[in-house]
Amino acid sequence: MAKKNTAQAPLTPAVLHILLALSTGERHGYGIMKQVQADSQGKAKMGPGTLYGSMGRMMEAGLIRESDKRIDPEMDDERRIYYELTGAGRAALESELKRYRGVVAVAEGRLVHGH
Amino acid sequence: MATNVAGRGYRTWYAMLLRLYPRPFRERFGEGMAQTFHDLCREHRDARRGLFGLALWIFFETSVGIVRENTTHMSQLGKTMLRVALGALAVLMVPLVASQVVEGWNWDAGGFVFVYVLFFGTGMVYAVIARKMGAWSYKAGVGVALVAGFALGWSNMVHVADSENPANLVYYSVLAVGGVGAWLARLEARGLARTLFAMAATLALIAVMLPSGAPPYVARNMAILHGVFVALFTASGLLFRHASLAGLK
Repeated sequence: MAKKNTAQAPLTPAVLHILLALSTGERHGYGIMKQVQADSQGKAKMGPGTLYGSMGRMMEAGLIRESDKRIDPEMDDERRIYYELTGAGRAALESELKRYRGVVAVAEGRLVHGH
Repeated sequence: MATNVAGRGYRTWYAMLLRLYPRPFRERFGEGMAQTFHDLCREHRDARRGLFGLALWIFFETSVGIVRENTTHMSQLGKTMLRVALGALAVLMVPLVASQVVEGWNWDAGGFVFVYVLFFGTGMVYAVIARKMGAWSYKAGVGVALVAGFALGWSNMVHVADSENPANLVYYSVLAVGGVGAWLARLEARGLARTLFAMAATLALIAVMLPSGAPPYVARNMAILHGVFVALFTASGLLFRHASLAGLK
């Protein structure tokens, strides 16, 4: 996940989870973490080191961007930075999901036909 | 109560740990990471779970991230230095070739080394400052300011050496204004805009205060030269102003 674009390259699990978490709207760091946990039914556990390291590389690649600082009414009165998907981020997510569907189709075909 | 005290302690230690990240990363994400750790502590506290296990995991996980980001940062810095070194070498070709074809251009090896160090230093200053902000106008502002400052410093150095007139050293006050202003502005776009406008004003003031009496063609050329430099510093200031306004949106 290096430079711009990435639509063709397979994404790392952390990047895929972050893109998925942001696909339904903008979130702050803790919000992304909780969403990743919910999406993976608790199987993926991501700490701040992995989360922000991945987000730094994703921002450089143009997949996500800072949205705004604002108050989360459910948390407290501290201002948080929110992140959102860019067009390239949404395209990368769709491309990755398409790739996954292809892999799953091949795997299911092999399981059914046994070759 | 005990959990609150422990939480505060862990947060203080975590803030200290975050200082080990490379500066650009820390400036970008440090606040968010500290906030996220704070949120995780609160979540555990509200669930009446101990913080020790959480803190141990987060500290370890963040330490791995610190090693990774520092390694990436060092490798990027190495790449930047290599690019700037090659760029400076390419620019050095101009005086090197010129010295072969222009009569009277007779720098010794030390002169070329000195010029190369100046090119390399200016390039590194650009590379380091320009990454402070992503806006194109900020990067362009840094580029114009450095080119104009370099040209002013260089031409003045040559002029002082040729004329042996120390009065020309007054032009270095323009660069001093730039250096002090950039330091005070902490390289923020808004402060840099003011700094560049101050540099342009200082240079214009010097031009006005120049003693008259030079032959008309010399006076005209001097006026044009001063005008070009004032225009360049002003243009750089306007670019920084644009970057500052873009950053507010």
